[in-house]
Amino acid sequence: MKLRDVVAGANASMYHRLDFQKIRGVYYPRSEAEVVEAIEQARAKGYEITPKGGGSGLSGACTGGNRDRFIVSTLQMKELLTISKDQGYVDVQPGATPDEINEVLEPMGMKLYVSPSSRDIATLGGLLATDGGGNDTWANGTMRDNTVRVKMVLYDGRRLIVDWEGVRSDDAELALELNKKDMTIHDVASAHGTLGFVTELRVTIRPLVEEHLMGAIAVYEDFDALGSALDRMIKSETPIRYGEAIVEAHKDVRDDLTPPILILEFPEKEKASIAETTDFEEVDSGELERLKDIRIKLPKRNPNEGVQAALFEGYGFFEDSLRGMQSRMEAINGLLIEDGFEPFAKYGHGPSKWYLGDNTPAFGLIMHSREIRPTDKTGKELFETVLKIVDLCDDMGITPKPEHKWPFSDKAKKTRIEELRTIIGEGFNAFIFEPECASETLSSMV
Amino acid sequence: MMDIKTVRKEHSINYIPLLLLTRIPLRISARLMSEIDRCVRCGSCLQFCPLFNVTGEEQFSPRGKLYLLQVMDLIENDEELGRDFRRLLFQCTMCGRCKDVCSSDVDLLKIWHEQRAKAVGAAPFEFEYLDSLRDSLANVYNIYGLDPDDRAIYWLDEVEDEIPNIHDRVYTNGKTAEIMVFLGCLMSFRSSQLDVVKSFLKALEIVDADYLVMGAEEFCCGHPLHLTGDESGADNLRKHNRSVIEAAGAKKVITGCPGCLIQLRKYHNFESAVAMHHTEFFDHLLEVMPATKRTETFAYHDPCELGRILDVKEEPRSVLNKLGVKYREMDLSCCGGGGLLRMTDPNLSDKIIQLKRATERLSETTVVTACPSCREVFLSNEIQTVDIVELMAEAFEGGGG
Repeated sequence: MKLRDVVAGANASMYHRLDFQKIRGVYYPRSEAEVVEAIEQARAKGYEITPKGGGSGLSGACTGGNRDRFIVSTLQMKELLTISKDQGYVDVQPGATPDEINEVLEPMGMKLYVSPSSRDIATLGGLLATDGGGNDTWANGTMRDNTVRVKMVLYDGRRLIVDWEGVRSDDAELALELNKKDMTIHDVASAHGTLGFVTELRVTIRPLVEEHLMGAIAVYEDFDALGSALDRMIKSETPIRYGEAIVEAHKDVRDDLTPPILILEFPEKEKASIAETTDFEEVDSGELERLKDIRIKLPKRNPNEGVQAALFEGYGFFEDSLRGMQSRMEAINGLLIEDGFEPFAKYGHGPSKWYLGDNTPAFGLIMHSREIRPTDKTGKELFETVLKIVDLCDDMGITPKPEHKWPFSDKAKKTRIEELRTIIGEGFNAFIFEPECASETLSSMV
Repeated sequence: MMDIKTVRKEHSINYIPLLLLTRIPLRISARLMSEIDRCVRCGSCLQFCPLFNVTGEEQFSPRGKLYLLQVMDLIENDEELGRDFRRLLFQCTMCGRCKDVCSSDVDLLKIWHEQRAKAVGAAPFEFEYLDSLRDSLANVYNIYGLDPDDRAIYWLDEVEDEIPNIHDRVYTNGKTAEIMVFLGCLMSFRSSQLDVVKSFLKALEIVDADYLVMGAEEFCCGHPLHLTGDESGADNLRKHNRSVIEAAGAKKVITGCPGCLIQLRKYHNFESAVAMHHTEFFDHLLEVMPATKRTETFAYHDPCELGRILDVKEEPRSVLNKLGVKYREMDLSCCGGGGLLRMTDPNLSDKIIQLKRATERLSETTVVTACPSCREVFLSNEIQTVDIVELMAEAFEGGGG
């Protein structure tokens, strides 16, 4: 074992206690040729490949489970290859982050509109692998909505170009097979690195809009009131530009706020139409920044006593589950408390957009959740609670980890990927398909 | 934990099997573990870490190192990993930027300090390259191993022409003054620092300060030992400095070296003397300063130990503004000279300054800074540099064009 191999397990999920002996090598390629070389080495030795980006995701998929594998990092693949302002795209290597890209684009008056809160570290490759987004997915879509095409290297070294029309490859037979299956960007998005290694992405860029926005805070009596307000916003196709909920928060980190609240930003001329969907109070720019700061730091701050953990990062409330949030929140918190977790913070993007496993778009509240880590729980016990949450979500019409950070229970997505893997090979990140939500592996890593 | 030399001496053996010594576990106390566990591994620190920026590999990053501590119980029995980890702890500039940007409020600098001390304690033989430094500090009280009496010799003759009474300014037993100047090892012994020393002392003369220079009675401030986690060694040096400064009745201790200032301000525990950076002293003293005649635009490099660790950010800029110096801000990243990196891994240190030189186009400008250690890094990489106090002394004398 070498330190550089062990450290490849570093990631923001709670699945980080790995069997390091199984990490057989770590590669930091700079080019497609170096990616191909790493994959060849893995193939020659019979190891799997796990692609890794910034490690800011919360599914644990970038760890590769506990199988004999090479971890291939994109952290040194950061080149911006082409900028086409006229045609509105950039070609970029998968290790660049939205912040890095926008640092180049913004002086040119252009922007990549993908803004997860981890946009300083989340890589484009990782964002597509999880179909991530930020608080602006309502306005700008998820990562897949902003992806035009990708170039990929497969386990057997063959190359693909995948776009919204289908697949191209030097191997005509392979392309034909995959096109028969209608493979598109939908399939690469949220595949959690199970199909191949993305070496290049073409992503949409648009002019930087200098729009005067006003800030507001909406405070609700209970979770149903919050959910109903969001439901009205979605139905009216609300023109808000920024919508962030603090659903509940521990006293040590909420300052003077009284959740549930929504922090909103919208064009001043839309004030009346927003008022038809929710009551709100205007705030000045300083207060707006303060509110945003409280929200953005919730996943990173800790209570005065104890340490927060992301036991189960996300819940997607939509349609009935959004309108009936109160009972569902009570059920979730009831389960957490019964299993010994003190709820710490729940917050998220609303209104927001995500895709279900069958590629249907869903609109609602993506609620992230953090708990105070109990000191007396084993990894297995923690993971048992995770599985209970997944069942509870299924029962209550809530998408588990809606930013597709939980591939393990998504039957529709897994079935589709398995179908494609029979054609393109199964050498990438196979632990995701292990039985019962890969529970044996994941519970050993908590 | 017994030092390897003591073990060898006490047991009259020249060789101790490596295995015995490397079996020393890297166990972490519950208190420290709870601090380490505050890291949520979000990765936001990566882009700010100078070591990560030049290597592109996670093990050099703060998240990587913290992660290794979080999973230490899984790897602590691996001798090779233990050795590599101890080495890794010294592949860091201790610039503190990771602590600064950490939203989880993890006190990373404190963790690095504690872990360095543990590393040296656990496997002193792996750090034999630090022995000459430790021996110099123990025997002659400076980092260069030079005769302590030479502290005031190196620069006295050079300064004498411009400050004829400079010999009277050197402390000897019984002399008192309001201000004690603490030059530090670099400024006392390095010819590359001579212009800064001259300017510093001339500026003090011009403002008619009542000052003494510690001369041969100045011991190293202890900062290099502090950076290796050797607080007791550092304390021996501090005690001497404290006794001299208090015997001289100084109310202020002024230094141009941020590393020395950390030690003087945080660890010397003076009864009444206040430790100040020279930019703080002159900025507080003078509302107005004569305008510089320099017309070029400088690049201001905020020394990490001054700006970030001691939070002295305003005064250097205020002095530059009072002098009418035009400058642009540089990125707040380390020059590569901190944390003893030039000694522990000069190759990485060079890479850091070379990257900075390229990204900030430093070959086209003069860097203005306020730290002798940063100055050494810039000069050794053929980057023109000037200390703020040089610009100030020039302006006081009506020059600088």
